[in-house]
Amino acid sequence: MVLSKNFGGGHRGLQESMYSVISLLFILVACVEFCDAAAAIDVYRLIQYDMSGSAFGSRFAALNHHAASLHFPLGTDLSRTVLIIPLRELNITFVREYINQKKPLGGLLFLLPEIFNPGNGGNKQVHEREKLKNVLAELERLLIHANLPYAVYFAFENDEIDIVLADIKKNDATGQPATATTGGYKLVIPTPEPKKVASPTITNIQGWLSGLKADGDMNQLPTIAIVASYDTFGAAPALSVGSDSNGSGIVALLEIARLFSLLYSNPKTRGRYNLLFGLTSGGPYNYNGTQKWLRSFDQRLRESIDYAICLNSIGSWDNELWIHVSKPPENAYIKQIFEGFSKVAEELDIKVGLKHKKINISNPRVAWEHEQFSRLRVTGATLSQIPVAPELLESTGGLFDSRQFVNETAITRGVKLVAESLVRHIYGHQGKNVQIFADGGSLAVNPAYVQSWLDLLSRTPRVAPFLSKNDPFVMALKKELADHTDEVNLQHEILEGMFTFYDSTSTTLNIYQVASVTFDLVLLLVLGSYLIVLFCFLVITTRGLDDLISLFRRPPSRKVKTA
Amino acid sequence: MTMFHFFNCAILTFGPHAVYYSATTLSEYDTFGTSVKAALVYLGTVLVKLVCLATFLQVSENDGFDPYQELLKVLIGFIDVAGLYFALTQLTHRNISQIHKFQAVGLGWAFADSVLHRLAPLWVGAKGLEFTWDYILQGLEANANLVLSISLAALGSLIWLRKNKPKTLIPVIYACAGIVATMPSITSYLRRGLGWHFPEVVGFELFTSLVMAFFSWQLFSACQRPSA
Repeated sequence: MVLSKNFGGGHRGLQESMYSVISLLFILVACVEFCDAAAAIDVYRLIQYDMSGSAFGSRFAALNHHAASLHFPLGTDLSRTVLIIPLRELNITFVREYINQKKPLGGLLFLLPEIFNPGNGGNKQVHEREKLKNVLAELERLLIHANLPYAVYFAFENDEIDIVLADIKKNDATGQPATATTGGYKLVIPTPEPKKVASPTITNIQGWLSGLKADGDMNQLPTIAIVASYDTFGAAPALSVGSDSNGSGIVALLEIARLFSLLYSNPKTRGRYNLLFGLTSGGPYNYNGTQKWLRSFDQRLRESIDYAICLNSIGSWDNELWIHVSKPPENAYIKQIFEGFSKVAEELDIKVGLKHKKINISNPRVAWEHEQFSRLRVTGATLSQIPVAPELLESTGGLFDSRQFVNETAITRGVKLVAESLVRHIYGHQGKNVQIFADGGSLAVNPAYVQSWLDLLSRTPRVAPFLSKNDPFVMALKKELADHTDEVNLQHEILEGMFTFYDSTSTTLNIYQVASVTFDLVLLLVLGSYLIVLFCFLVITTRGLDDLISLFRRPPSRKVKTA
Repeated sequence: MTMFHFFNCAILTFGPHAVYYSATTLSEYDTFGTSVKAALVYLGTVLVKLVCLATFLQVSENDGFDPYQELLKVLIGFIDVAGLYFALTQLTHRNISQIHKFQAVGLGWAFADSVLHRLAPLWVGAKGLEFTWDYILQGLEANANLVLSISLAALGSLIWLRKNKPKTLIPVIYACAGIVATMPSITSYLRRGLGWHFPEVVGFELFTSLVMAFFSWQLFSACQRPSA
C-alpha cells in the first residue's frame, strides 16, 4: 500500500517535470524564431507627404530586396536592389541624377554618422563635421522635394552594419551584384503599407502673466507677446529634433518666462504690462498654428497687444542677429523697438540689423512668424540669426540640425538681449544704462537651465502630425510654462490646408545573409552522390558486388523461360 | 534558406539511416520492428536522463568546463548504456541473427537520436532566410552519430549477448565500449574546455566514429571466428 502511494506520488512528480520540460522546449523553439538575422538595426523612414495634391517623399515602406553598395558594376539593373550609401561617401550629384532621371531602384538606405543621432550624447569631436552637416542638409533638401516610388530609410553607423557593408563592397568589387542566384545580403522590412495620418492635431500653448493694474484704472493693460514655434519638419520625422530651429527659440522663451515670473512675483516689482507667452505649432506649414491662435483671440486682447517678438533660430550665431519686420522701418513703433534692441545690443557687444520684407496678402507663403501678426494688424518682429527669409520647408529643423551645432552661450546672450530690451520698455528705462538681468545677480540668466532644456529638446523629435494631443512633451512644455505664468491654456486645432502626412516613421531592418540558388543545387548534387556512394558501399560490403550489379540488370533468365 | 535548404539538410541528416536500412541485409530480413522498438527505448532513456539531469545538475552561470558537473553528466550518460542493454537483451526480437540484431537496434537508436535532437532546430532554423553552415554540420554530426551508435550496439551485443569470447579480447571490448559510451562527454569537453568550434568538433566526431567503427568491426569478426 505504502509502496504504491509513493510510486503514485513519484509518477505525478515525473509528469510535472515532463510538462515543464516540454513547455521549456516550446519556449526555446519560439525564441529561436526571433534571433534569425545577421543584423537587426533601427531605421527611420523618409517622410511621406502630399502637398496640394502632389506626392512627395518616399511612397513605400516595405523592403524585401538584395543589398548593393556604391561600388556596383556599371550597367546593372538596380530595380530590385537596395543601395546602401554611407553619408561620408555620398556623391550628391549621383543621387540627384538618379532621382531626377527617375531611374528604377529597389530602395535606398543612408548611413549617418553617430553625431547626428539624437539619442547620442553628441559630444564627440568628429573630423570635418561642418562638411558632413552641409552634405546632409543638401541631401535632405533633395529628398524632401522629390517623389520616390521606393522605400528610403536612414540608419546610424554601428559595428554590425559596418561589417555587413564591408562584405557587400567586397562582393560588389568582384563584379557580381547580389541577386537570387549569386547570394549576398537581403534587407527585409516587413511593414504594411503606410496610411494617412487622419486629422493631425496642432497644439498651441499659451501662458499669461498679468501686469499690475493700478487701483481705479479701468483700462486694459497693454500686452507684449513673446512667441516661438516648437514643432519641426525634416527628412526623417523620427529624427527631426531641430536643436536650432526652433529648439533655441523655445529654450529662450522659457528662460525669459522664468526671469519675468521672478520679477512679476512681487507686486512691488510687477510691471504695467501683461506678458503673453506663446508656444505655437504648425510652424513649418506657413505658421498655420500661429494664425489659428491669433484668430481665437477676442478683439480687445488683440488690440491690446503692443507688439510681438517672435524667436526663431538663435542658437548658432557669433556676433550678428537680425530683426525682421514687415512694416516699413520708418514706422514709429518699429523704430522704437529697433532702437531699444540696438541700445542693449551695443552694451552686450552684439550687432543687430533690421530687415524689412513686405507681405503679399495674396501669397499664402508666410516666411516669418511675425507676418501672421502683421496680417491681423498687430505689430510684430522676428529675432533670428537667419539673414534671409527661408523658403517653404527650409530651416525647419531637419536631420542636420543636431545638438552639436548649437551654442548655449549664443542662446544665453540672445535671452539677455530680448529680456533687457523688454524690461526697459516695460519699466520705461529706455536709453538708461541699467542692467536688470545682470550676471551674478538673482535675476541672472541661468545657463544650466538653458543647457538642460536644450539637451531635452535635442532628444525629442517634434513633427506636428506625429505628436498626439496628449503627447508627454507637450504636457511637459505646458507644465513648465505653468510654473512661470499665472494661467496656461492649450488650444487644439486640426492641421488642414495643403499638407497630408503618412505614418510609419521608424521600424527595424533585418539583414539576412542568404545563399544563392546555385549553392543549394550544388549541395543537392553533392548530397545525392554521397547517398548513392554510401548505398553502393553498404551493398558491396554486406551483400557483395554481385548483388549491386544485379540490382541494375534485369534477370535475363525469365525472358528465356517465357519464350 | 527556405525549403530547398531545409530539404537538403534533411536528406543529409536522415537519408543515411534510410540508405543503411535498404542497402544492407536488414531489409531482406524485415528487421523494421526491431528498429522501431529500439527507437521507443531510446525515447524512454532520454526522458529518464532529462529527469535525472534536471534533478541533480546545477545550472552554472559561465559556460566553462566544470569537472564535477561533467562527471555527473558522464554518470548520467551511462543511463544511455543501460537503455541500450535493455533494448538488446530484454526486448523480444524475432528469430534474427546477432549481426542483424545489433545493426537494427543501433539504427533505430541513431534515428531516434537524430529526430529528437536535430529535427526541431532544422525545421525552425533552416527554413529562415538567414544562411548558416550550422545545419549542414549538424547533418554530418548525425552521420557520425549513426556510425557510433551502430558500433556501440555491436560492442554491447558482444558484451551481453555473446557468451564465449576469447579471454584476451574482453578488456579491449570493454575499453572500446567505454570510449564510445563517453563520446558525448568528450565532445562537450572539447567544445567548452578547449574552446573548439563546431566544424572542428564535427570533424573530430566523424574521424573517431570511423576509427571506432573499424575497431568494433575487427573485434566483432574476431569474436565470430570461434563460433563460425
